[in-house]
Amino acid sequence: MAMQELYFNIDNGYLEGLVRGFKGGILRRTDYANLVQCETLEDLKLHLASTDYGNFLANEPSPLTVNVIDDKLKEKMVIEFQHMRNQSVEPLCTFMDFITYSYMIDNIVLLITGTLHQRPISELITKCHPLGSFEQMEAIHVAATPAELYNAILIDTPLAPFFVDCISEQDLDELNIEIIRNTLYKAYLEAFYEFCSQLGGTTSEFMCRALEFEADRRAFIITINSFGTELTKDDRSKLYPRCGKLHPDGLAALARADDYDQVRAVAEYYGEYKPLFEGAGNNPGDKTLEDKFFEHEVELNVNAFMQQFHFGVFYAYIKLKEQECRNIVWIAECVAQRHRTKIDNYIPIL
Amino acid sequence: MGSLFRSEEMTLAQLFLQSEAAYACVSELGELGLVQFRDLNPDVNAFQRKFVNEVRRCDEMERKLRFLEKEIRKAGIPIVDTGENPDAPPPREMIDLEATFEKLENEMKEVNTNQEALKRNFLELTELKHILRKTQSFFEEMQDPALAEESHALLLGDEERGGQPMRLGFVAGVINRERLPTFERMLWRACRGNVFLRQTEIETPLEDPVTGDQVHKCVFIIFFQGDQLKTRVKKICEGFRATLYPCPETPAERREMAIGVMTRIEDLQTVLNQTQDHRHRVLVSAAKNIRVWFIKARKIKAIYHTLNLFNLDVTQKCLIAECWCPVADLERIQLALRRGTEHSGSSVPSILNRMTTKQAPPTYHKTNKFTSGFQALVDSYGVASYCEVNPAPFTIITFPFLFAVMFGDAGHGLIMALFALWMVWREKQLMNQRKDDGIWSIFFGGRYIILLMGAFSIYTGFIYNDFFSKSLNIFGSSWHMANISDDDIKNNELLELDPNVTAIYKPASPYPFGIDPIWNLAENKITFLNSFKMKMSVTLGVIQMSFGVCLSLSNYRFFKDPLSMFSVFIPQLMFLMCIFGYMVIIIFFKWIAYDASISYKAPSLLITMINMFLFKFPDSQDDYMYSGQKGLQIFLVLVAVACVPCMLFIKPYFEWRAHKSGKRTVRFGTVQMQVNGASEDTAVIMDQDEGEMPPPPPEGAPAHKEEEEFDIGEILIHQAIHTIEFCLGCISHTASYLRLWALSLAHAQLSEVLWSMVLHIGLGFKGWVGAVVTILVFPAFAVLTVAILLVMEGLSAFLHALRLHWVEFQSKFYKGEGHQFVPFSFEALMEDHN
Repeated sequence: MAMQELYFNIDNGYLEGLVRGFKGGILRRTDYANLVQCETLEDLKLHLASTDYGNFLANEPSPLTVNVIDDKLKEKMVIEFQHMRNQSVEPLCTFMDFITYSYMIDNIVLLITGTLHQRPISELITKCHPLGSFEQMEAIHVAATPAELYNAILIDTPLAPFFVDCISEQDLDELNIEIIRNTLYKAYLEAFYEFCSQLGGTTSEFMCRALEFEADRRAFIITINSFGTELTKDDRSKLYPRCGKLHPDGLAALARADDYDQVRAVAEYYGEYKPLFEGAGNNPGDKTLEDKFFEHEVELNVNAFMQQFHFGVFYAYIKLKEQECRNIVWIAECVAQRHRTKIDNYIPIL
Repeated sequence: MGSLFRSEEMTLAQLFLQSEAAYACVSELGELGLVQFRDLNPDVNAFQRKFVNEVRRCDEMERKLRFLEKEIRKAGIPIVDTGENPDAPPPREMIDLEATFEKLENEMKEVNTNQEALKRNFLELTELKHILRKTQSFFEEMQDPALAEESHALLLGDEERGGQPMRLGFVAGVINRERLPTFERMLWRACRGNVFLRQTEIETPLEDPVTGDQVHKCVFIIFFQGDQLKTRVKKICEGFRATLYPCPETPAERREMAIGVMTRIEDLQTVLNQTQDHRHRVLVSAAKNIRVWFIKARKIKAIYHTLNLFNLDVTQKCLIAECWCPVADLERIQLALRRGTEHSGSSVPSILNRMTTKQAPPTYHKTNKFTSGFQALVDSYGVASYCEVNPAPFTIITFPFLFAVMFGDAGHGLIMALFALWMVWREKQLMNQRKDDGIWSIFFGGRYIILLMGAFSIYTGFIYNDFFSKSLNIFGSSWHMANISDDDIKNNELLELDPNVTAIYKPASPYPFGIDPIWNLAENKITFLNSFKMKMSVTLGVIQMSFGVCLSLSNYRFFKDPLSMFSVFIPQLMFLMCIFGYMVIIIFFKWIAYDASISYKAPSLLITMINMFLFKFPDSQDDYMYSGQKGLQIFLVLVAVACVPCMLFIKPYFEWRAHKSGKRTVRFGTVQMQVNGASEDTAVIMDQDEGEMPPPPPEGAPAHKEEEEFDIGEILIHQAIHTIEFCLGCISHTASYLRLWALSLAHAQLSEVLWSMVLHIGLGFKGWVGAVVTILVFPAFAVLTVAILLVMEGLSAFLHALRLHWVEFQSKFYKGEGHQFVPFSFEALMEDHN
């Protein structure tokens, strides 16, 4: 394993340096403190120009909209990611492909839901995350059943092996789409987990922790969201990714849960998740459970940069950048809608 | 005071500008480029400053200009660079400019949308044309002659189905070529193989109406049966962004349609050409002015940026600015301010007040195109502390010289000098082209350094008598082949020339300049040259280091620090002289005092030096170099040793005493110097402003505190470090100068190897074979000479010369703790953008 680190820089040294450089450009607390003081989106643009974003909005005619900012933020991140992806060699490129799969899953679900609601495909395409776009994406509305979806479209994409479990579903309705999404995600997380464990070394050390958290978060969220829907407990337990810390006892307990308090009781047993549930609440001023999870994720990902010679930094960077985009968009929305009371609900990264 | 010897005397000044005159004044100062403004509101966000709206408007203008520029470049219209440099327009003109840009941008956008629509139309028609043409062949292939009279495109179904003809529907369209394979596969999968696809490539690339890129496309036609499949196929086509076109089923209709399409294409082509012409005209007129517009917009933006640094007076009537400026140029700044005030038509003059401050002023060296390269060499080590001796003027000579000592070959030096001379000669032209090339700009920026390096290399090359590793026998060697017969030469591989025989060598008439060329043939050439070059390196080193120490005297005198003069400078110089100065003297003494006849008695200098420290002396009087050597050497060693405690203790002691007696007569630590105060005509406003002035920046604060505290232990440690560093440094630095010898040896050997291993092969053959081989070998020799000897060896010698200056020379006197003076200058701004 030590040898792995010795040879790391031959193939990946440049990219690691690059990603660490990119990470240096992530906005800090002082930047956010300045951003929330903005009166208009133009102010926001002016301030972002003094950060690492530079003049990424310089060529946009005013008036600026939140959508434009969002698109440009994503575009910048995607350009950085694609650059690194294009420079990478095995096994890093597979690793980076794995990162994109989660966006592909989101895109597929978005498109299917959209076509279900009779939205034109061209409108939906613009809403897709550019990191998860693939060639067959736009033809997705050909499919009327999961089997068709698999046979006609997904079979040529890297998502095909994850989809095998979903073929049995009868037709594409709202509930089934959610089930498909979660089954896909489950298969994806487990495969990614498997892949990272095989890589070994620091990569697996960090990535397993990150993916375990991701898996457990999904399990919690699925459980909480399933209350009051027609999803049976049996079906629910099938959706839990089985690579987290909760597996197997926690998942079994979650499968039995009937309300929020029981979920909370499950989390009590896990030192990592206990504080997240304790601090969360739905009262104004409290942080939501979702935000708590995000905060924890950010902390986890920032820690990835403490170690060297591993792939986790690429994953962590993308996740941090995504969080940063969410933050900026949130602030921009608040500024644009003059809704300043909640403007501080962003999650600072550094 | 030479302007390069010390940095310019700087002063902090306060400017009171009338609100209406501020813009014009800053504009004038920007043209002048001699003033560095300080940010007076560091706590205020970028978007909360006063002139943020103006800055934003400028951003918008720049954006429009960039848009125009992009369009102009895309259209391939050259942008005229007249070299014109317009002044920043007055603020009221900004509205005109904005209106002009707005109009142009809108016009451009309108033309673009029109053109795009037309192009899309055109593209569709062209695609249709291709479809009609290409599908023709598909239909022809498939049509059964028996069914030809039917007006529908029918195909025979499977014979097994009883010959019942099946009606097949079809769609035809165009798709990007690279998407075709996935498209085909997807069709097959989604329709379970029940469709039939034919495709063919469109040979000529088509233009994408939005991006204007050339794209390759394919015509395809899909046959299928039934409506369900039809909707499915259509969906897939839509998903893959294939454009579908109606295609009539009968040949006659198709022909008719094709004719219609052709005429429409022709009509469209004329319209398109007209739009294109119009667009071109608009762009050409914009291209004429765009550079000037850019300059104007950038200048306005820079002015408002600067104005944002200013403080607003309570009455809102005037702006207060603080700036650093060179004292020598105050007149010019005043003049610029007056001009600015006049331009703006304001009646109240702008006021410039000098202020006293405790902050370290920025370092500003006035350089020209010749000195700037050398200043950059020094600055890349560290920017000089304010007003300390600047090594750059000495570097101008010593740097190329030390380089040349290592690079001593007249031939290589000549090539280098000619190359640099060409760069200097074509300076203007070269400066305008190829600005962006990284490596080239490094060479070009250092053209004067390279020129001097080349010239000095020619000189040292003649001293070493090396010309492409061969010696030039210009004056005729002083060694003669007396009493050596031709037989001796033929029979013996080696011949010994004895310098003691006057017929062979006349000591009275040595070779007049440099090394005698006969040494190039000698077997013991290297031994001879090594001894010479080693001694020369050490001599040069000691001279340069002593010079550095002397420069520190100049610093102490300038900063009025007599204590350091006596407690640091004198012991340092004595230490250096007693050991290494003495060594240089006996080197010369040995050269002069011993000639060939008594060379057997010459002592080894190395042993002499070692014995000097061990107090070991020869017994017989004959082995001394001169009488009284023993006494002098013991004395020198004792003096050198005595210097060490002097360096260590005198200064801390006096400081401690001064501190005890309560008054600080000497300064210590950071160089704190008062610019010779405010002269009579400028008011001292420092004290009264203390209240409203922003707190001094943090870098000033700790220095101020340091003065208050006094810790004798810390000072002793500090002094001890300096002393040890100097004493050990003297020894290691002297040894370090031996790199001069080492590199020069390496260079000479490399060039000799190159000669004997490459070009010598060609010259070794006789007759026409030799000529051919020489011609073949010479390019290799030339390329290797340039690549290895000039570029590689040159770079290594450059780095070593740089090191000798940064470490060995500058460590003797140079602090390099200053910060650069960055004036607000339009010129620098424009260079940045280029």
